[in-house]
Amino acid sequence: MSKANIIRLALVLAIALSAFGMALAQDATELSLWVFVDRHGLYMQSQAERWNEANPDRAINLSYEQIDYTQMHDNLLASLLVGIGAPDLADVEISKFATFTKGDEMFYPLNDVIDPYRAEIIETRLAPYTANGNNYGIDYHLGAFVMYYNTALLEEAGVDVNSLTTWDDYIAAGQQVTRDTDGDGEIDVYMMSVETTGPFSARGPMLMLGGGAYNGEGEIILESEANIQALQFLQDLVHVHGIARPATGGHHHTPEHFIDLVEGRIASFYMPQWYMTRYPDNMASALADDAVIRPMPVWEEGGYTSTMGGGTGTVITKQIDPDKVALAAEFLAFSKLTYEANVALWTDLGFDPMRLDVYDDDALLITMADFSGEVPFEHIKAAIASVAPEYTGPFYPEITTIMTTTMLYDLIENQVSPEEVLANAADELRAMGAEF
Amino acid sequence: MLNIVRLPYRLIAGFLHHKKVVPLVFLAPFMIVFLIFKVYPVILAIIMSFQNFQGIKSQDWVGLTNYENVFELVRFSQALTNTTVYTIGTLLVLIPLPLALAVLLDSGRVIASTVFRVLIFLPALTSLVVAGTVFRLILAKDGFLNLFLEGTLGLDRLRWLEVSELALPSLILIATWRWTGMNILYFNSGLVNIPQELYESAAIDGASPWKMFLSITLPMLRPTTFFVVVLSIIGGYQVFVEPFILYAGGAGPGDGGLTLALLIYRTAFTSFNFGTAAAMGVILALIIFVFSLIQFRFFGVLGRED
Repeated sequence: MSKANIIRLALVLAIALSAFGMALAQDATELSLWVFVDRHGLYMQSQAERWNEANPDRAINLSYEQIDYTQMHDNLLASLLVGIGAPDLADVEISKFATFTKGDEMFYPLNDVIDPYRAEIIETRLAPYTANGNNYGIDYHLGAFVMYYNTALLEEAGVDVNSLTTWDDYIAAGQQVTRDTDGDGEIDVYMMSVETTGPFSARGPMLMLGGGAYNGEGEIILESEANIQALQFLQDLVHVHGIARPATGGHHHTPEHFIDLVEGRIASFYMPQWYMTRYPDNMASALADDAVIRPMPVWEEGGYTSTMGGGTGTVITKQIDPDKVALAAEFLAFSKLTYEANVALWTDLGFDPMRLDVYDDDALLITMADFSGEVPFEHIKAAIASVAPEYTGPFYPEITTIMTTTMLYDLIENQVSPEEVLANAADELRAMGAEF
Repeated sequence: MLNIVRLPYRLIAGFLHHKKVVPLVFLAPFMIVFLIFKVYPVILAIIMSFQNFQGIKSQDWVGLTNYENVFELVRFSQALTNTTVYTIGTLLVLIPLPLALAVLLDSGRVIASTVFRVLIFLPALTSLVVAGTVFRLILAKDGFLNLFLEGTLGLDRLRWLEVSELALPSLILIATWRWTGMNILYFNSGLVNIPQELYESAAIDGASPWKMFLSITLPMLRPTTFFVVVLSIIGGYQVFVEPFILYAGGAGPGDGGLTLALLIYRTAFTSFNFGTAAAMGVILALIIFVFSLIQFRFFGVLGRED
């Protein structure tokens, strides 16, 4: 064969192959997704497979890219501002969401595809991703606050983990658990660690006592009585009862804190349910025999038993091909709100579902080696008996920033009074233009 | 046909090879990149500082409102103070230390001085993301720094990453690690240019090494020192990546590591207030400009006062 013929043959083959490839691809609609947690991307891909089985005529081909948390949000905001470069779908974290609602509309509303599911889900979970009456994002989970205990440390001090139902029980037990084990005059084991540069240790009690950043009417309620009470409670755990100390490194996601947990220096703490994934992911299952979760202790009978913490809403950006919007929206609802999806959220992803009817499904009662072989879902179910809602608003990102830089640091490290740290935060917000 | 093709080619080639055009041709790649990625954004930022920027489609002119907003921000004065303290701190360390090391490495009394030079310079090439992670481990309560201080000086363990008072010292430590080698390089090139005869005649006159350092090395290094000081001030006031990486996008406990550049970033990307952020950027540029001018006068580069 001559050289020219070889080239001709190669050309014909290339055209034939690409035509074949295009014919294959024509069936599936390409959708791109940005995530900052790899688990989220994997989950969405498994849901895309489930979607394709159920809707072979409207198949999608979902590709995701995982980018570091801060960079992903910055890139997304920059892309949406300049009008080019954004993906079709993106994960937006709860404390970043409001930033995206301040300029021109950046996401497509999802109200229509959510409507059929409203009765089944804990609807207040949509509030953090709602602006001007439009639901722009759907979360992966409920994020219920639970207690994480190290039973070995409790047992050494003669405390039964199942006896801690009220905070009074907890504080009394904490005084037994918190102790100097080697006799060098320094306390080696603390009952609890609290975040000073992370929001969760404060946000949990704030919401469960009826406070928080915003109320249901969209007003900033930072200086409310409930918030003062919550911060006083937190400060007292450290400085009056002496059973808690700041988490090493400032919050519950530092390598130093994971080391503290593995080394048995912290007997318990509260975080949202999704923190369970940190036990295998960040601590190599080192606490598998001792870790358990339980509902949080309560302040009084009939109060809230949990609240929502953190969260990530998946949104459809305005830069998606308009022809794909309807399909993408339906897929989003399918992947997050259907019954099967909510079962998979727990069994595949390890996140507590926000759809209440799946809580009675036996499929969720699986044992977990990482949590002493228990069935953690039973405790999550008990915890969500009454969940305090979390409302957000335009200044939620700023409030989170203030909480995690100066507010909690001053409260815990400098022992500034709750009234004063909240008043300082309020002043700072007003200087940024917040009116309340 | 060939001639038709060749004619414009010759014209173009002739033009490009012209004595006055050639330098521009060689400069073009840099100039184009410089104009697009440096000058254009600066102009845009100045324009934006007078606007309420809500996206590519909506901007309104708001006069000086953004500048007023900057001075109302509760954190602005803290950021300005932090940045200034950080800059002074880096000057106090990053001028004398590299100068001393450069003189030492140049003195011929160090074995394998090239090896040391390379080792000290390497941090400037290291990825800051990696460095940030490693420094979190070094500065941790049970980290290398505390163990070292405890072992050698018997000091108590400090909470470098957890208290606001130690945020700036931590950042200065990282700056020292990162920039010492770079500044040694600058001082070294200055040292090479000092004529050896000066030292020889001073030695004949019986001057001590210390006296030679004070009367020859220091004065002769003046242009280099000026250059390093100006660069350090510019770098110091712009500091962003070090705290950003060390505190994972935050500014450390109690905002102890909050710098002006971080506040600009926070104002733009958290508060979605690009106008105020741009105004703060212009203010930062003015501060750097004024400091540089003072430097120029102090070192007598502009006038010939000395």
